Amino acid sequence: MTLPMKYKYRKIISPICLMVIWEIVGRFIWVDPFFFPPPSAMFKELYAMIITGEVFPHIAISITRALSGYILAAVAGLTIGLLVAWSSAVEDIIDPLIELIRPISTFALVPVMFIWFGIGNGSKIAIIFKACFFPIVLNTIAGIKGVDKKLIQAARSLGANGSQLWIKVLIPAALPMIVTGMRISTAMSMLAIVGVEMLAADSGIGFLVIDAQRTFATARMFAGIIVISFLGFSLDRIARIIQNRMLAWHTETSLSGGMV
Amino acid sequence: MYLIEAEKLKKVYAEGKSKNTIAIEDFNLKVKEREFTSIVGPSGCGKSTFLLLVSGLEKATAGKLYINGQPVNGPDPLRSIVFQEYLLFPWKTVRGNVEFGLEIKRIPKKKRREISSAYIELVGLEGFENRYPHELSGGMKQRVAIARALVNKPKVILLDEPFGSLDALTREGLQTELLRIWHEAKCTVLFVTHSISEAVYLSDKVAIMSKRPGRIKELITIDLPRPRTKDMFVSSEFREYERYLKELVWEEFNDVTNEI
Ligand SMILES: Nc1ncnc2c1ncn2[C@@H]1O[C@H](COP(=O)(O)OP(=O)(O)OP(=O)(O)O)[C@@H](O)[C@H]1O
Ligand SMILES: [Mg+2]
Repeated sequence: MTLPMKYKYRKIISPICLMVIWEIVGRFIWVDPFFFPPPSAMFKELYAMIITGEVFPHIAISITRALSGYILAAVAGLTIGLLVAWSSAVEDIIDPLIELIRPISTFALVPVMFIWFGIGNGSKIAIIFKACFFPIVLNTIAGIKGVDKKLIQAARSLGANGSQLWIKVLIPAALPMIVTGMRISTAMSMLAIVGVEMLAADSGIGFLVIDAQRTFATARMFAGIIVISFLGFSLDRIARIIQNRMLAWHTETSLSGGMV
Repeated sequence: MYLIEAEKLKKVYAEGKSKNTIAIEDFNLKVKEREFTSIVGPSGCGKSTFLLLVSGLEKATAGKLYINGQPVNGPDPLRSIVFQEYLLFPWKTVRGNVEFGLEIKRIPKKKRREISSAYIELVGLEGFENRYPHELSGGMKQRVAIARALVNKPKVILLDEPFGSLDALTREGLQTELLRIWHEAKCTVLFVTHSISEAVYLSDKVAIMSKRPGRIKELITIDLPRPRTKDMFVSSEFREYERYLKELVWEEFNDVTNEI
């Protein structure tokens, strides 16, 4: 990530080339602009969306839904993860459920969620919850269970016990994995929200794209996809920055090759 | 009256049903208060195991282990252990690691800082207070581990090859420091080492262990005057102790190699 500037430029070569070739193909070679609207048309469409402000309510509603589901999943995932790692009785009860539900594709549960929660925001938040919950709960469990037993011994020999071990050793030691789970889930939440908004919604960025497709406005459709890509990218970047800030001691170790 | 009394002590590590390791068996050792005892023996003979039993972090399988006439019942910050593998908390800085025992005792921040600064200086790590363990060399980590164990002002200090990865100069400096701390704090030291001359130089008594399952083969009293000085290394008495101990250790070592 700390590449010198001149290498950073390399990373934008391929996207720009793709755009240029696409533009040339779209303009000078005969292809139906319905299938391949040239990038200039897409960006014109995107520019219009931004200038009129039309796109922002869609972004806002998508992010609100994604965030609601994500926060619920984070709270539940952390709590249940810590409980499972803490007590083998809780583990024996909860673990089979996790193993049964986890492999089900999120979208396979969409019909169920529609029946239970209606086609409004409730079902969408529930879908996001399903998508985000498992990476968080599983990484929390694995993180706590993976803490070096010897490190716990070291803390105990210095007088720590009971809740102190949890607060001062287990959770900090597991934090890299817990935060990784939470970062994976931010990506999951974006994937899920766009998908579910395409299935049933009258607002949100996923709706904007599917609505453009239904009305044969392909340039607009691609403009929406660019927005989605940009949102996903920014979200991941923000998540990474938070992760690096929180785990300065850890990321540097993994960058230098050694693990803790 | 002895401070540490081990009688017919036995420790079996159970790994599954059929694979048990008898680490030590029929282990007898008595240590007086304020004595400096070194333990030498072949690799894997159970030296670390014995220290863990004294620390209370591991429970004996059979036999008696008394400290101050009381059976050992779990860890106690008054018995500090410096682990062979350092086991620093990777998310804490040098200062954070050293202060851990004080943090557990809920000593106010300002006081904590004062105490930790003194110990950081003692082990020669001034200027490195804010470094994380992954930024330190092996020898520096070892010194942090020593400082961390000392802040609780323990009555018994258990050191597991604490100078193993230090250069000769630092090693000599810390040996002198350890003798000074031991003298000033009036504590009892159990010191595991592979260096026979180090054992002779530091100790009142040197315990030679047999190969696994380890027991004390001989306990030799080192009748050299205190304070010990570096020029004693060349005295004929010192050499004689060294020669005798080396012989005893070699016997065990030959047994081990014969088996292979
Ligand atoms: N937690 C454990 N579980 C199972 N076996 C163990 C465990 N700890 C140690 N052992 C085994 O017990 C024996 C004694 O180990 P110990 O670490 O006490 O030896 P040591 O004398 O300290 O060796 P070294 O000089 O190499 O440090 C070894 O055979 C080791 O494999
Ligand atoms: Mg050992």
